[in-house]
Amino acid sequence: MLSTTTAARALVALVVASLAAIALTATASGADATTTIRIWTDKDRLAAVTKVANAWAASKGATIEVVQKDFGQIRDNLKTVQSETAPDVIVGAHDWIGELSANGSIVPLFPSAATQKQFPGYALDAFSYGTAIKKLYGAPVALENIALVTNTNLAKVPTTWAQLQRSALATKKKTKAAVGISVQQGSGGDAYHMYPLFAGLGGYIFGKNSAGNLDPSNIGVANPKFLKNPALIDQWNKLGLIRSSVDSSISQDLFLKGKTAFWFTGPWNLDTLKKSGLSFRISGFPQIVAGTKAVPFLGVQGFMVTKFAATHNVESLAKDLVSNYMMQTGPQLELALANTRYPANLNAGKQVKDAQLKAFGLASTGGVPMPNIPQMNSVWGDLGAAWVRSTKGSGSVPARRSFLGASRSIAQKIG
Amino acid sequence: MSTGTATARTAPGVTVPKPSLLARALPAFSGTVGLVLKVVLLAVSNAIGLWGLVGLLNNGNTVAGLCVLAATLAIDAVYLLPIRGLVPVKFLVPGTVFLIGFQLIPIVYNASVAFSNWSTGHNLTKEEAIQTIQETSLAQPPNGAFYTMTPAREDGTLALLLVDQATGKTFVGTEEGLTPLPSADVTVANGAITEAAGYEVLTGQGLAGIDQELAGLVVPAGGNSFVRAEGLSTALELTPTLRYDPEADTFTNIENGAVFSDNGKGAYATAGGEEIEQGWRTNIGLQNFKEIFTNPLIRDPFLSTFAWTFSYALLSVLFTFFAGLFIAIALNHDGLRFQRVQRSILILPYAIPAFLSLLVWRGLLNDDFGVVNSILPFDVPWLFDPFWARVSCLLVNFWLGIPYMFLICTGALQAIPGEMTEAARVDGASGLQVFRKITLPLLLVAVAPLLIASFAFNFNNFNAIYFLTEGGPYSAEQSVAGSTDILVSYTYKVAFQTGRGGDYGLAAALSIVIFLIIGTISAVTFIRTKALENVA
Repeated sequence: MLSTTTAARALVALVVASLAAIALTATASGADATTTIRIWTDKDRLAAVTKVANAWAASKGATIEVVQKDFGQIRDNLKTVQSETAPDVIVGAHDWIGELSANGSIVPLFPSAATQKQFPGYALDAFSYGTAIKKLYGAPVALENIALVTNTNLAKVPTTWAQLQRSALATKKKTKAAVGISVQQGSGGDAYHMYPLFAGLGGYIFGKNSAGNLDPSNIGVANPKFLKNPALIDQWNKLGLIRSSVDSSISQDLFLKGKTAFWFTGPWNLDTLKKSGLSFRISGFPQIVAGTKAVPFLGVQGFMVTKFAATHNVESLAKDLVSNYMMQTGPQLELALANTRYPANLNAGKQVKDAQLKAFGLASTGGVPMPNIPQMNSVWGDLGAAWVRSTKGSGSVPARRSFLGASRSIAQKIG
Repeated sequence: MSTGTATARTAPGVTVPKPSLLARALPAFSGTVGLVLKVVLLAVSNAIGLWGLVGLLNNGNTVAGLCVLAATLAIDAVYLLPIRGLVPVKFLVPGTVFLIGFQLIPIVYNASVAFSNWSTGHNLTKEEAIQTIQETSLAQPPNGAFYTMTPAREDGTLALLLVDQATGKTFVGTEEGLTPLPSADVTVANGAITEAAGYEVLTGQGLAGIDQELAGLVVPAGGNSFVRAEGLSTALELTPTLRYDPEADTFTNIENGAVFSDNGKGAYATAGGEEIEQGWRTNIGLQNFKEIFTNPLIRDPFLSTFAWTFSYALLSVLFTFFAGLFIAIALNHDGLRFQRVQRSILILPYAIPAFLSLLVWRGLLNDDFGVVNSILPFDVPWLFDPFWARVSCLLVNFWLGIPYMFLICTGALQAIPGEMTEAARVDGASGLQVFRKITLPLLLVAVAPLLIASFAFNFNNFNAIYFLTEGGPYSAEQSVAGSTDILVSYTYKVAFQTGRGGDYGLAAALSIVIFLIIGTISAVTFIRTKALENVA
């Protein structure tokens, strides 16, 4: 009696289990039935990517699956993702490619000479990497950089650093603000937003070797040219021109409330600026010391083909989408404007109507692409910290000592 | 009390305690419902097991697959076989499964990572690395040809119909090589061949299925060079710059003859130490641990960071405990007005997500723009001075931690029988004596394990540091760890903001060291709390 019920139970359990298992495995393997290109993108670009990619896919007999990710997660998740759920194409920033290429996560691209001609040299260069031979690893789509935003009710657009400093301090005195310029740092520092000042004083991050590649052993954080100027930082600190306590929200708040006349920021704040009702102008940064340009870091965003495209047997399709279709004028304009950025394609750039976005594009002239070699991971924290400890008001470390310390520490970390 | 009187009324003299909810609920599950539930749960277990087995076998993990199979069958056996001896096992299995899944496997995996070189540049298997190196060593030769390409079939074989973009000459590329196509035989539109005699041109849907074939088609083009498709409409000439010798397992630079061989650390390198950047993940033994204790860049900040971490965790626990206990006692008085409202308000900080509170505190404590400094008659460099930044971390952590301690102390206080304190008072003990000799020891018996857990939690409280100070400020002399970095945030910086970044191997090794430290401290303290129980 007991054994028959048990046998019946076991039988029922096994039948149900097998059915459930078959259903599970079927759903797991069902995804590969058609030729699908999986794209990882961030939220801002989701709609534009879906539209552009589907327009391409229609004529190629492929389908598109767009997966939304946090921008930074795209890079991190690519290291650990399993092949079954891995993307064939990702959107990303040019300064990821050193790390992604060293990890073998992305593959080189060879767009035609005619296509390459439609892009500014630095945009392609930003996406090129290799310790021996430099290769293009992504299709540049959007350019971004910070610029000088001036509140024209409080100050004229400065053409010299002296003018900027005078106007900034005059506004500071009038509004009793604790700082003259809205440029963000915060506890962790912000080497990106401080870069125009750093470059303007003669600093650079990595020099280039004879092959034209960035050389991680040539660190310019405390190069002789820069070391002639750190007294200026100490002076700015004393005058309260810049302050490390200003973080991203404080810098925005001070400028939008008319407490500061100048804001160092990028196109991601263009909508905020337009909605604020302030009268403002966007321009490049005035020269600080003779013979050295105060230029911003350049960021290039674009699309890359991952190593998984080959595993999924869609490599040619993915390359066609990225290095052929997405580099064309129409898709470029669509993808860049979806995110309020200036397109990388020169022909698309000519079609940008927004005067302010154009002004951001103009302010990028002479800018330096953020280094894309993985050793840059050792730089951000130290360079930011050097500014923080030298511009915290009373008790600041003299800039010379501070930047020399940072330079030494970076060299040690890179090893 | 009320149930007691209710039963007393129906059956005077005999009190039948009402069975607990669980006891009443259990019989409901023992009949058909129970059987169905059991079968469904077992089916789910079998399905997951089978699904895992298929997945593991597909990935070539035969041993792991067999383990999953054996475990699944064992679970079935335990619940289906009518053996009396298996009854206790039925109760142990679910807990054991979760223990293995959520504790043991992560720990074993973490340990295996700690002995590997997994980091930027060591993220592939060796086979993948060889493939990647071969692929990235391909270069366009000077003046190499670039073609507009149309894939086509000739008697079923894939062929590339090519138009040289520089000269406009037409070719057909197959596995045999590149053959000129007479321009009379082809129709060219917009620079691409649209028709060719004897070839079936592939377009639209015809392109989707040929990807693997197309990517694999290598057209010899003289010397080392070959022509290969790049996407669906272009092809180009490529030349390898490195040659792989599978026999010797070496790469040779074709131009200068330099030989790169396996250096045993997951990379190909020359005798002079020049490495090819794409390497693979491999076991490097105790190398990561050696690095922690011998590399001055990592070792030097370790000790000072450890000292601060220890004091941070200890002070946080001690202060929050005594403050929480004080408030709990103060609010434990009977007859206190609005007791519940007051208690609710006090646990509010515990109800707000900690990272939000931390970001708000970061704003409040801002040296130049914060509310705290604008209220105080003098300015305190809360976040940018090494000493004061540590004070800020502690103060904010007190604020975050007191509600928790208040909660557990309130609970524990209510569990102490009032008779004991009353008896002590009758015996003439003062309030303080009652607290020291009766309340506190009894409280500690209940709360001590929680205090140890709280210490371990604060020891690794990454968010409390990172959202408030990001580990800063940094001195000009030492910047791997900032003055408020605790061991876990220091680990993050060592592993991800040093060298080329992404050093999971080193991070795992450091986390094991931290685990050993906390494990030792906790074990010692637990043994000593046994003494507390004996006193009680």
